[in-house]
Amino acid sequence: MNYDYQQIDDVIHSRIRTAIMAVLVGTDEAEFNFLKEKVNATDGNLSVHLKKLEHAGYVSVKKLFVDRKPVSKYKITSKGYKAFENYINNLENIIKSNKK
Amino acid sequence: MESKQAELELSLIKKMMEDTRKLNIDNGIHYIFWGILVALGLLINYLMLVFKFYTKYIGFVWLVMMVSGAVADILIGKYQSKRSKVSTYAGRILTSLWLASGVAMFIYGFVGSFSGAYNPIFICPVIATSLGISYFTSGSIQQLGWLRSVSFGWWAGAIVMFVFPGIHTLLIFAIMIIMLQIVPGLLLNKKSKELFTENA
Repeated sequence: MNYDYQQIDDVIHSRIRTAIMAVLVGTDEAEFNFLKEKVNATDGNLSVHLKKLEHAGYVSVKKLFVDRKPVSKYKITSKGYKAFENYINNLENIIKSNKK
Repeated sequence: MESKQAELELSLIKKMMEDTRKLNIDNGIHYIFWGILVALGLLINYLMLVFKFYTKYIGFVWLVMMVSGAVADILIGKYQSKRSKVSTYAGRILTSLWLASGVAMFIYGFVGSFSGAYNPIFICPVIATSLGISYFTSGSIQQLGWLRSVSFGWWAGAIVMFVFPGIHTLLIFAIMIIMLQIVPGLLLNKKSKELFTENA
């Protein structure tokens, strides 16, 4: 079986962005600091990757103030769900095609 | 992308998703809050009956306690949700389950008895039966076998209170609330704290 490697979604295909999507897919919404702890990234690095996912329409952000401190809460969108599902299917196809 | 890299990515995704799934544990605050409030209400109700103290106001005392409890619970929920670092779908389902359960218990407790459909002494076993359903479902959602088992305690107690009704029903129900609601709430709170410390 041949597999088209170009089908891999470049927006998700990065260690940090994959991890962010994997965390968000199991949650309703997650705060920036929670994601930072889970993916072990610095503030700047995480912001850049979240922006990429946001621009692709895979995640949405809600900004609010809690005890006068700004808080950003991230949520996966339906487009993001679909893209992540496709990404996992593609990974499985790569494994299958290489086994044959 | 090579097959090995794809396998690594899949295992990373699986691990992250499993870690997040573990966070689907209720923090038990609502169990403790309602447990203390209802146990207190039952004790007040029992004493009012024993000492024949303004017994015609028992329903009113319950109404004031439950309505103020519901308002306080909504405020606690809002406070917690604003400050929680993460919320899960399971958490949302649990909130809906307990909200629906609360509305049902309100109907059983107030509408059921005020309408004269049944003797108020049977409110306790009816509510215990309803709580059994909620505990069974809640334990299944959180994948906590011990919490699901608590429902059998509620149902067993409900049978006892249906078969042997009387003023003592209030005390039996108060003991059940402490053992089957406050204690599980404390255990959930401990477990939830441990999980968040592990994940922090």
